[in-house]
Amino acid sequence: MSSARNPRSGFRQWRAHRPFWGGLLLTLAGAEILLTEKASLKVVMHIGMQGLAGYLLPTLMLLCGLLILFNPTQRLFYSLLGILLSLGTWLTSNLGGFLIGLLLGAIGSCLTFGWLPDQEPRRRLLRGRREQQRTATEAQGLS
Amino acid sequence: MASSSDATASNGSTPETPENAESGSAADTSDRRGRVRLRRAAVMALPATAIAAGLMILTAQGALGVQFAISGMPFTVTATELNGTGFEQFGGLDNMAEGSPNAGDTGGQVLVVTSAIKSATLTKLCQSVDLGGTNLLITAGSGADKVQASHLTTDSTELSGDASFDNIEIGNDAGTLDKAGVQGPKGVFSQQADTVRIANLRQTNYATTAAVFKLPGLKLRFSDTGC
Repeated sequence: MSSARNPRSGFRQWRAHRPFWGGLLLTLAGAEILLTEKASLKVVMHIGMQGLAGYLLPTLMLLCGLLILFNPTQRLFYSLLGILLSLGTWLTSNLGGFLIGLLLGAIGSCLTFGWLPDQEPRRRLLRGRREQQRTATEAQGLS
Repeated sequence: MASSSDATASNGSTPETPENAESGSAADTSDRRGRVRLRRAAVMALPATAIAAGLMILTAQGALGVQFAISGMPFTVTATELNGTGFEQFGGLDNMAEGSPNAGDTGGQVLVVTSAIKSATLTKLCQSVDLGGTNLLITAGSGADKVQASHLTTDSTELSGDASFDNIEIGNDAGTLDKAGVQGPKGVFSQQADTVRIANLRQTNYATTAAVFKLPGLKLRFSDTGC
C-alpha cells in the first residue's frame, strides 16, 4: 500500500476512514472554551459545583472530539453528546466561549453525524455493475 | 492508531490498488473514503440551529441566565447603576496557573479586591475583554429590563464609582462574613453591608466566578475600543 512508503499519504489514508474534520473541530471547540476560562482549579473548588459545570462541559467536548478521531465506530453517540454539550456551553461557559467555541462544536458535531464511511468517489458512479454490487454487499455488512 | 477500531475494517484488504494505478494522478482521491453526506448532517444541523437560536433569544430576553468564568485575562465591567443586596468586600491574592503567559513580572500573583454580591441589578451593563488588538464587547440591560446577577463574585484590581451602603460593618475579619455567603481568609480586613448602590460603576476584573447573569437585550460584538 502507498501508506507504507509515504507518511503523508499514510495520514490521508488514516484521515479518510474517520470523520476527521468533525472530530478536529469539536476538539478545538472544547479547547477554545477552556482557554476563555483558564482559572486555576483552586478557585473552582471555592465556588462549588455550579461553577464546575463551566469546566466540565468543554472538557467533555474535548474528549468527545478526540474519541471521534480515535474511535470513529461510535461516532453517532459522540456526535449527539457533542452537540448537546456544545449547546449547553452557551449557558455554563462564557456564552459558549464567546460564541466561537459553540459554533465550532456545533459544526464539528454535525459533520461527524453526517459522515459515512466507505463512500464511492463521485466519478466511480459510472463504473461497471460488478463493482457497484460489491459496494452494496459491503454497505449491508457495515450497517 | 488501533486499526481494529477503524470505521472500515475491510480497508486493509481493498483489492483496488491496480485500478488506482490506472486512474493515474488522482490515485489518492480515488480511494474509497468516508464522506460527509449533507442530508444526513442536516438532520442534526437543523434542530441544533433551532435550539441554539432559541437559547440566544431566551438569553436576550432575560429569561435564561448565563454563567461566566474568566480569569487571568483582565476584563472591564461598567454599568451606570448597580443595586445589590448582601455585599461583602475583602482583599486577597489571586494566583494564576503555573507558567501562565499573563503572569508577566508579577510572579503570577495579582493583588485583588474580592467583592461578593448576593443578588445585583445592573443598568446598562458593558463587559469587555481585551483580546489583543480587538475587544470583545458584551452589552446588555440598556432597555427597560435590567441585568440581574446572582452570587456575583469578582476579583478586581480597580473599582470606581459613587457608592452608598446600608448597615455597613467595616473592619470585620474576612473569615466571619455572612451577608453574601462567601468567606475570605481569616485575619484579613473586610467590610460588609446589607445593601449597596453604586452609580457609574467601573471595575477592572481578573476573575468572575460562578456569576449567573440574566442579560436582557444581549449584544455580542467586536470593537476597537473597550467599555
